[in-house]
Amino acid sequence: MITLESVSYAYPRTGRDAISDITLSLKRGECVLVSGRSGSGKTTLCLAAAGILEHEYGGRKSGSVAVNGKDVGDYRDLSDLSTSVGILFDDPDSQLIFTTVEEEILSALERRGFSPEEVEERLSRVLAVTGLDGLKDRPPHALSGGQKQRVVLAITLALGTDILILDEPTSELDEKGTDSIVSLLKELKAQGKTILLVEQKYPRLAGVVDRLVILEDGKIRTEGPADRVLSDETARRTLIPDFSGIRVGNTPEKENPPIIRTEGLSFRYGDEEALSGIDLEIAPGEFVAIVGENGSGKTTLIKHFIGLLRPEKGTVRVDGKDAAKAPVAELAHSVGLVFQNPDHMFFADSVFDEVAFGVDNLKIPDRERAVIDALSTVRLEHLRDLYPRWLSRGERQRLAIGCILAMKPPVLILDEPTTGLDGEESREIIELIKRLQGDGHTIIMVTHSREIAEECADRVVRMEAGKIVSDSGAGA
Amino acid sequence: MGEILQYIPGNGLFHRLHPATKILFIIVVSIATILSSSIPLLVAYLLLILLLALAGRLLKPVLQQMLLVGLMSIVLYLVTILTVPRGTVIGYLVPGFVPFIGGSIPVTVEALIVGTVLTLRFAILITAFQLFVISTQPRDLVHTMERARIPADYTLMFIIALRFIPTLQIEGKRIHEAQLARGYHPGEGFIGRIKSVAPVMIPLVSNSIGRATLLGLTIDIRGYRSRTRTRLRERTLGIMDRVAIPVMVVMGIAFAYAFFFTHWV
Repeated sequence: MITLESVSYAYPRTGRDAISDITLSLKRGECVLVSGRSGSGKTTLCLAAAGILEHEYGGRKSGSVAVNGKDVGDYRDLSDLSTSVGILFDDPDSQLIFTTVEEEILSALERRGFSPEEVEERLSRVLAVTGLDGLKDRPPHALSGGQKQRVVLAITLALGTDILILDEPTSELDEKGTDSIVSLLKELKAQGKTILLVEQKYPRLAGVVDRLVILEDGKIRTEGPADRVLSDETARRTLIPDFSGIRVGNTPEKENPPIIRTEGLSFRYGDEEALSGIDLEIAPGEFVAIVGENGSGKTTLIKHFIGLLRPEKGTVRVDGKDAAKAPVAELAHSVGLVFQNPDHMFFADSVFDEVAFGVDNLKIPDRERAVIDALSTVRLEHLRDLYPRWLSRGERQRLAIGCILAMKPPVLILDEPTTGLDGEESREIIELIKRLQGDGHTIIMVTHSREIAEECADRVVRMEAGKIVSDSGAGA
Repeated sequence: MGEILQYIPGNGLFHRLHPATKILFIIVVSIATILSSSIPLLVAYLLLILLLALAGRLLKPVLQQMLLVGLMSIVLYLVTILTVPRGTVIGYLVPGFVPFIGGSIPVTVEALIVGTVLTLRFAILITAFQLFVISTQPRDLVHTMERARIPADYTLMFIIALRFIPTLQIEGKRIHEAQLARGYHPGEGFIGRIKSVAPVMIPLVSNSIGRATLLGLTIDIRGYRSRTRTRLRERTLGIMDRVAIPVMVVMGIAFAYAFFFTHWV
């Protein structure tokens, strides 16, 4: 269905090949999973296989790509190619144009030469299959990240192409959401669809994937059925995060007074109750994971610790300060919050200046030293003069942590720090976090991955619908 | 969060009109407004449009927009006061008792009249445009423009610009929060304000540029620029359009007559 013959490609104005010498072919009904570190060429491979590089990108190309036996260059344009190949990009927002979910799907369907009856039929079927029936009148900006991903997937499926190229379709979904996509993929495979899938969640996808491809620096490192690929130790660590031996040497200072304490904390967005009656104490030096599904209130809770949200009822005390009243800039001395998407913070011209921003804002003494120390902790000192947005996703995530670290807050909060990272990179981030705990920081990590929470944190707090439903450290 | 210029689902007067009728409405209203300088006439236009908004059950979002009109009117009055200093002086912007500069900027009746006319024009144009945008689904607009043989690129440019307003608002808020958490504090004074824009605007613009590439690919892949299309759930000219179009044509002719042959406008 798709054949790549020694494909190499370098983006314009870069000397380096983003992918090099890729030879890969996908048979009908096969599901191939591509994984690898951030920046290893996964997305470029998707663009190559869909014929997008050929039709829309400049840069240096070699090798050949064929779809259904026909060279992608022989298709008239992308619209022509898209009758054979459906592609889903990793950012759902840029694939939604219209004002409601239904209008979005309808607008895509009516350009395909289907009869009106078939358009209606496909529309209602795909709404049902992807569970979007209840959301069909919602505008895109009123959808969560996970819901947007489902809408984009629905459009790709509605078009009914035999080949699907899916770039991280579940990155913003929680465990339940991911599982529903996995069962959908199984169904598609049973229908004979060929699927090229880029994902970091191999353990959840193992049941549907036929073959694995591990990319390393733009080249295929290993490829083949799961048992063969997993026998390669490096590939194994990429696919399956291994957090063994990570939980050592922690000494939470339980006898000291808590560094964070909430009592009866409640908050609502408009009419919607987001937090209700949260009582939580966190001791200095503890590593607490807050887990729960999308919309369970995790992010809402942590925003209260740094004053970005103020409680409607109840109290929040952080490091001796009243977090319901103290200004954010003052709380930032005590609490460092690393947001999920590092791209929401980078604006400086160099890695060094980026880190210095927070240091200058808080007037931390010995600026140069503070920045260099933070960069060396996150192992980016060799990149200090680079433009932050040129770094790989994994490096950007570490830089985001470095930016906050340099401000020397005793409490570090990380919101989904392993999103979009492979097993190896996830382990690196967790190791970094553990080192920071060893240095005396209190760590709060928000995640929807139960594995990471249970294997790495000292204590797991589970939230559901704005309440704490279990706390492994309660009463300890 | 107030949603600026976003489609509001509904079934009122404006929702049921064909996009072409609404475009004609905007054209007639714009020409009549821009060419009129009679305050009573402009007030009448504004009242008429507000009545139509009420009939279309869209008065509330339209009135919310009036805050913008109010702010803009202050600017318009200031500009006209500064630029129309000759005429019947009724006072001074800087009162006479202020030492040295007292009585320096005269406020004239003529300036106030011009300011009022400009404010009314602005209010009418904004309201008419808003009524069109919040009652028209982009898909219907695309279809209408296609029929008029206007290249899809222009229509898509327009609807994408509108579609991303709330997305940028949300993203701007997230970026602002991320920078607050880094101890960012908006600077003081004019220069400080300008400088403090960078930590929010640079990530916002950089992320949007990254997004534009994918958006362009999406448009090509889905074939939104192709001319072929299955015709279903299309808007057709309904009874209301058949009434509204002749009414607007007659009003347009009446206005043209009044403009060229009388002194009413």
